[in-house]
Amino acid sequence: MTWAETIVQSLKDWNTPLIAYVPDTSIDRVTSLIDDDPFFHLVSCTREEEAIGVAVGSYAVGQNAAVFMQSSGFGNSINALASLCIPARTPIPIFMNLRGGTGEFNISQVAMGKSTKPILDLLGLVHFTIEDEYRLDEVLNGAMKLCHAHRNPVGICMTPMLHGGKVV
Amino acid sequence: MYRFEATQLILRHAGDRPIVGNLGPTSDELRHAGHRDRNFYTYGNMGLCSSLALGMALGTSEQVISLDGDGSLLMNLGTLGTIGRESPKNLIVIVWDNEEWGQTGHQPSHTAMGTDLEKVAQSCGISNTATVRELEDLDAIFQTALNQDGPWFIVAKIQETDYMPVAPVEPEFTLYRFRNSFL
Repeated sequence: MTWAETIVQSLKDWNTPLIAYVPDTSIDRVTSLIDDDPFFHLVSCTREEEAIGVAVGSYAVGQNAAVFMQSSGFGNSINALASLCIPARTPIPIFMNLRGGTGEFNISQVAMGKSTKPILDLLGLVHFTIEDEYRLDEVLNGAMKLCHAHRNPVGICMTPMLHGGKVV
Repeated sequence: MYRFEATQLILRHAGDRPIVGNLGPTSDELRHAGHRDRNFYTYGNMGLCSSLALGMALGTSEQVISLDGDGSLLMNLGTLGTIGRESPKNLIVIVWDNEEWGQTGHQPSHTAMGTDLEKVAQSCGISNTATVRELEDLDAIFQTALNQDGPWFIVAKIQETDYMPVAPVEPEFTLYRFRNSFL
């Protein structure tokens, strides 16, 4: 299994059929698999906080949901996490392409990318960083279990060491 | 029309259908008009009312009603594009349009200055739309929406009046009650 297939399998194992996302080059390998798989409903959103809203709506009627975005878009979704997900207690896994690290070519991505994990910490949200495929299924399974136990979002930060990143 | 009497009208026809309320007076008045498990009151996340309702409509076969506001929807107009793209048949969006940011000092909103939310919705591919000013017109179009496939987008022009008491702020209980009614 590739890392992308492992993520897809984890979403299935945790019965998470609704995926709200804003497209991203690096995580396209996952979301394109999701788009081709009839188990899932992939909802293309215009903005990351909107994706959080759609995912919470799905969870509120009893259907688990996850969100895919890149770290710049995480900046767009902070108030949705702070004023909706955390006070209402919603277990939404947030898969992020973490920009601003190894191999970053764009200065405009660095500040938000490097701030993403500290902001998650400030919000009290647990996060995991995935740099390679080593024990990936265990990490994902554990992250999903914690997400539902905590009834709060978890951040799953995927770096270019895993997915190759966006190259110019 | 006033938002409270319009909210009472919606509740009279809504049966057991889930309703999402925009933050502030819309959720307060929804609670005062008739507290029920299937009212999803919101307390923050300005702009996400109809995005929440969209996610609900994609997760259940039941009809979902969003009670949004002009100021909130203007914060997240992109979600009309997403609603048009997904086109869930079971979604009814109603916008209480007072043409102002009522909670922050009654500053005029863009709908007071020419923005036509119904036309925005139409241009996003939402074909069942209406703008109403009188309670009886809202009554008629809402009953039509309940009986015909959506998505529906209804702008209800309202007059602002005195606010009702703030309802209990209990997001965790709200979600728990609401979600349990679907399990």
